[in-house]
Amino acid sequence: MSAPATAASTTDAEVVQTQSAPPRRSWPGYLTMPLILGLVCLGMFLYVQSRELDSIEARSLNARTILTALQGHVMLTAVSTLVTLVISVPLGVLLTRSFTRVIRPYIIGVLTVLQAVPTIAILVLLAVAFLFLGFQAAIVGLVLYAIIPVLLNTMVGLEQVDENVMEAGRGMGFSRWQVLTKLEVPLAVPVILAGVRTALVINVGTATLVTYIDAGGLGDIIVAGLSTNRILVQLIGAALTAVLALLVDYIAGIAEDLLRPKGL
Amino acid sequence: MSHTPNAASGHADASVMIRLEELTKRFPGQSRSAVESLTLDILEGEIVVLVGPSGCGKTTTMKMINRIIEPSSGRIILNGEDVTSKNPDHLRRRIGYVIQQTGLFPHMTIGENVATVPKLLGWDAKRVSARVDELLTMVNMDPAEYRGRYPKQLSGGQQQRVGVARALGADPEVMLMDEPFGAIDPITRDRLQNEFLRLQSEVRKTIVFVTHDIDEAIKMGDRIAILQEGSRIAQYDTPERILTAPANDFVKDFIGAGASLKRLNLSRVRDIELGTWDTVTTADSAETAHSTLSSSEYSAVLVLDTDGRPVRWVTADDLRRIDGRSLDQIGSAPQAVVEPRATLSDALNELVAARYAVTVVVDEQGRYLGVIDFDQLNEAIRSMRSTAVAEARSEFAAHDSSQEGPS
Repeated sequence: MSAPATAASTTDAEVVQTQSAPPRRSWPGYLTMPLILGLVCLGMFLYVQSRELDSIEARSLNARTILTALQGHVMLTAVSTLVTLVISVPLGVLLTRSFTRVIRPYIIGVLTVLQAVPTIAILVLLAVAFLFLGFQAAIVGLVLYAIIPVLLNTMVGLEQVDENVMEAGRGMGFSRWQVLTKLEVPLAVPVILAGVRTALVINVGTATLVTYIDAGGLGDIIVAGLSTNRILVQLIGAALTAVLALLVDYIAGIAEDLLRPKGL
Repeated sequence: MSHTPNAASGHADASVMIRLEELTKRFPGQSRSAVESLTLDILEGEIVVLVGPSGCGKTTTMKMINRIIEPSSGRIILNGEDVTSKNPDHLRRRIGYVIQQTGLFPHMTIGENVATVPKLLGWDAKRVSARVDELLTMVNMDPAEYRGRYPKQLSGGQQQRVGVARALGADPEVMLMDEPFGAIDPITRDRLQNEFLRLQSEVRKTIVFVTHDIDEAIKMGDRIAILQEGSRIAQYDTPERILTAPANDFVKDFIGAGASLKRLNLSRVRDIELGTWDTVTTADSAETAHSTLSSSEYSAVLVLDTDGRPVRWVTADDLRRIDGRSLDQIGSAPQAVVEPRATLSDALNELVAARYAVTVVVDEQGRYLGVIDFDQLNEAIRSMRSTAVAEARSEFAAHDSSQEGPS
């Protein structure tokens, strides 16, 4: 009905959705994961306590060794993810600009091939060919492996931004730089963050391998267990890695919730 | 280059706001130009509708005005100033832009969206927020309620209202609108069109409006440019003259059948004499209503409240079952209600669906003015047709060789 134009907007026949964005997660939802991880750690601690450890097991399964390994692992993950971000996000932005259309498939091809090479092979290559060992070599290996998910997510995130939104932005008089920084990147943030989360979890896992090039981490414990044939040591090393991966994923999930722009 | 029929040249009284000169756009890899040497004058304060079949280049033409699409050749003159090679970002801040899918920024609130251009122009915060409230009020949205919401919390019609408010942000001299009401359901579209016309009567912007819908063009346009492939102008004229004197077969085909129904869009309810209906007020007793009804030729009386606004239709049946209730608590609410600004086409639409085969007309405060029924519409159509025929005849008599086809 073409009701008089004076009809106030509040009495609109149009459907008005008044609910705000749905709550992202309930409080119990936020607490479940840390609770479970805490219980797993407690279980491991009590079990190891209850066992009579031989001297080889005791060399790996003590607070100092474990904390050092854990700390090294967290450093490896954090630094490699940070470096990945610093490389991938700007690269993703560049590769979605129209002037890079020609080289886009080649760069993505090369990176995909790199990702298909097992990390261990890259690490060995770095060590054997360049005599490049330790923390920095580890970061190179981890970053090469994690670039692809973050890069692809950045590109997908930027490309899925509604064409109309960008056109409206340009039509309002935004410069290209303003369209990028005020519209494209903020609107791509959820997808980019999902890529970062994937990269983090991948990095926690692959960082167990860098023990072979003397770069520390929880891999130290696992490999110690393997080489001395102590199953308990292997298990604890692996379980700690898993707990760390889940914890990192959990924290990244919270970060995603908090950093996602409102209104999406 | 053959002469293009350009009716605006005959109206030297208003100043030209936008002049397109030999504007051409050729996209790379395409043999034909999307827009071929278009010359068009758009007068200040008018709504010019570019209408044509899909692919005729109307959207490309519009987007060249704010240089979202850069012309291959030709000139764009805005208010006497050649803007063909001005900084496009600065140019666009002077031109309001409304697109079909609204293009609202989803991560910004309604207030932030509307504030876009004023902020780009560096207004201070106080002035920006005052302007936002002013604009939201202008498009019938309560600022206190909507300022802080996000676009996805609004309906399509409300989003487009915000789109219009945002385009008016820094009070631009020119607005470009690309099928602004195209993606909205017909009922809401109708209302938005009416609201927009009311708004335009206040702000008097120069507007270039693109649509593929000839009915919308007739309703919205002060002047219509019917475009053929390559953005060639088939006819550029007022809606009245396009309907009564189509320049060629293309225009005739494009207007399509039902030209007399379309003419209903040209007349407003205020232009015709309204009928009357038997009314009572809410203060009257049921007996009064009963006696009014029994002496009436109709099967229902219209109940007005004390301010004269129609509130109920009441029939004899309703009166029998009144059980001590007052008149405004029985019967049915009037559905078919229009304002004098509505077109006869609106009135007809309402009429067809209405319960008692009349459309109630109210003034801007909602007070009852009269009714429109089929006979009155029929009369209006017949008188328009005879006027049109007379005009067309005098047209041919005046310049019989003036219909040279534009290539």
